Amino acid sequence: MKKIIALLMALVMAFGLVACGGSSAPAETEAPKADAPAAEAPAAAGEKVEINMIAAQYGNETADWWANFVTEFNAAHEDINLVVDVVSWNDIYTVVNTRIANGQAPDLLNIDVFADYQADGLLLPAEEWCSEETYAKFFPSFLAESIVDDVVWAVPDLASARALYYNADILEAAGVEVPTTWEELKAACEAIKAYDAEIYPWGVDMTTDEGQACFAYYAWNNGGGFVDADGNWALNSAENVEAVNFIVDLVNSGLTNTDPTTETRYDLQDMFAAGKVAMMIGPNQISKYCEQNGGINYGIASLPTNGDKAGASVGVMDRIMCFDNGYTEAELAAVTAVVDAFYDDEPYADWVLMEDFLPATSTGNELCAAADPGMAAWIDVIGSAKFYPAAKAEWADVKQGVIAVQQEVLLGGNAQELLDALQAEIAG
Amino acid sequence: MKKPYTLLNKAEPYLWILPSIILMSIFIIVPIGFVFRMAFSQVTKAGLIKGFAGFANFEKVLGGAKFAMVLKNTIVWTIFVVVLSTVLGFILALLLNNEFKGRKIARAIVVFPWATTLVIQASVWKFIIDIDYGALNTLLKTLGIISTNVNWTPTPEAYFAWEIACGIFVTIPFVCFTALSGLQSIDSSYYEAAIVDGANYWQKLFNITIPLVKPSLTVATVLNIIYVFNSFPIVWTITKGDPANRTDTLVTYLYKLAFYNGKQGEAAAVSVIGFLILLVCASVYMVSTLKKGDE
Repeated sequence: MKKIIALLMALVMAFGLVACGGSSAPAETEAPKADAPAAEAPAAAGEKVEINMIAAQYGNETADWWANFVTEFNAAHEDINLVVDVVSWNDIYTVVNTRIANGQAPDLLNIDVFADYQADGLLLPAEEWCSEETYAKFFPSFLAESIVDDVVWAVPDLASARALYYNADILEAAGVEVPTTWEELKAACEAIKAYDAEIYPWGVDMTTDEGQACFAYYAWNNGGGFVDADGNWALNSAENVEAVNFIVDLVNSGLTNTDPTTETRYDLQDMFAAGKVAMMIGPNQISKYCEQNGGINYGIASLPTNGDKAGASVGVMDRIMCFDNGYTEAELAAVTAVVDAFYDDEPYADWVLMEDFLPATSTGNELCAAADPGMAAWIDVIGSAKFYPAAKAEWADVKQGVIAVQQEVLLGGNAQELLDALQAEIAG
Repeated sequence: MKKPYTLLNKAEPYLWILPSIILMSIFIIVPIGFVFRMAFSQVTKAGLIKGFAGFANFEKVLGGAKFAMVLKNTIVWTIFVVVLSTVLGFILALLLNNEFKGRKIARAIVVFPWATTLVIQASVWKFIIDIDYGALNTLLKTLGIISTNVNWTPTPEAYFAWEIACGIFVTIPFVCFTALSGLQSIDSSYYEAAIVDGANYWQKLFNITIPLVKPSLTVATVLNIIYVFNSFPIVWTITKGDPANRTDTLVTYLYKLAFYNGKQGEAAAVSVIGFLILLVCASVYMVSTLKKGDE
């Protein structure tokens, strides 16, 4: 009898804990859309059309901004009830996938990726829900990043670009100029190390969170990258191998922060603002962070390139997309009204400036540059930036793949062999 | 007076346990069912099930280069944390079972690591061992033991060892209090009889204390095996399984598969494999231990 009780107890306990572990995964699975309640009947006269949106939380002010937007929008549109859920970046993918799996896909979604939703046929083409007036405001090069099968599936809501941040006082004390090439970069790092061994000359983040940016900083400035000129995966190019070896060599030479695989961009940002890291690559938000935390004498420059190869900044873009929930005309018009209101020049510029991002519309650019003169230079940078190939369905695997390759090389792996294996896995 | 035997009387015990059964069904059995279903399904990156996949998800997981390493890490993690925290927790319980001044305060302090959120505990440990601003380096420098900062995590193995240390630290209180409750239930007459027979400290420990506290420790160990095996916050907060999966356990690995790589079917397969391993371990341990108790 005891044996049976023991077995039952073990079963119950194991079941209980696995259930807890598994509960975060999306549970239901039916395709949502067409049979969602909103699609069943057009809104009757006098009945409000409800539009549900999930928006990413960029910072402390995001939720308040959206709350104000919703209040003003609903007051101005008596026939529409806009509901916006602001969700942190940590949870947003889980929340969205769970909603989709349970047949409760949002109408509008503000997130970074779109290809996975498009691949499942869950999205509506942008031109169906974005008015011509709003559509014309976007930079064509930004829209091009959301094209699959010649159709634009999402529109950009904001962007950020990366540049080289340097501590001008440390560079001056070490007697070095701002590096423009890899050769100069290594020499500058060695000079800074000789000046003060306690300072990390170069900040590197190859963590699970953003190691793909690290790969891009060096691959794109060495003539390599994720894809070739035809848009096919080209992960194992000689340029990429050279780029990975270069950055790992800097780490192994003791010229960077101690642990690039666990120290994130935010850790580096803290150390840069404290004068512990002399140079790092980061987004435009670092300027404000430095001014608020320590006030070091910093400068901004282009990313160093390998010799005289063409340089490129790394751009990051987030998007707004519309799920195909089988809308009536009135519902689709309500979606368009929300999008138009969001991209209306003044609230849009206010939203972009709130979290120090860069605008994705030409009119927003003008307003932002006028409101913040420091942003004008960044707007130029974003114009020449390259973006991750997020429209390709394999992007999530490539992203994690290049991070793993860099970390493996840091532990002694061979960059060529590892990138060959990744290329074979992704491109077949 | 004895109650008349009616159908209602017969059903009464089942009615009492019915709420528990309903709750367990909704919150445990149903999600388990979904995890199993997902493990055997083709799941898209957006989380939609597109059909039956047979064992394809399991084949991909087991055929992957990283799974063996992650499984080994999980076993090392579980064994070290459970064994060491059980030994240390039991020793601490023996100490706290003695009469001494300030015993109540000492017992309260031991609860602290258990009462604090794991994420906070792990963050504090990460801060302690940080090379640049860590408390450990600052303390040792202040005491004059070191002159320059020491890198306490030069290799992935070192990182993993610190994570195990953190795991032991937060697990000790649970073992300690379970063992303490067992120790306090031992009748003092056993010890009095042993003293009369001339038994020394070790003889009392091995012949009276340990056999009588064993049922409590068994329950604590089985629960710990499951908790520790499934523990997520410590590894995730300190290293996120980096570098290159060297510090991943099955739980952090499946989290990355599901939410970083969008491979939810494979993640569910890892979850099922972990479940089966736990089930076997917990069953074997409980059955063998209770069988020995019967003998």
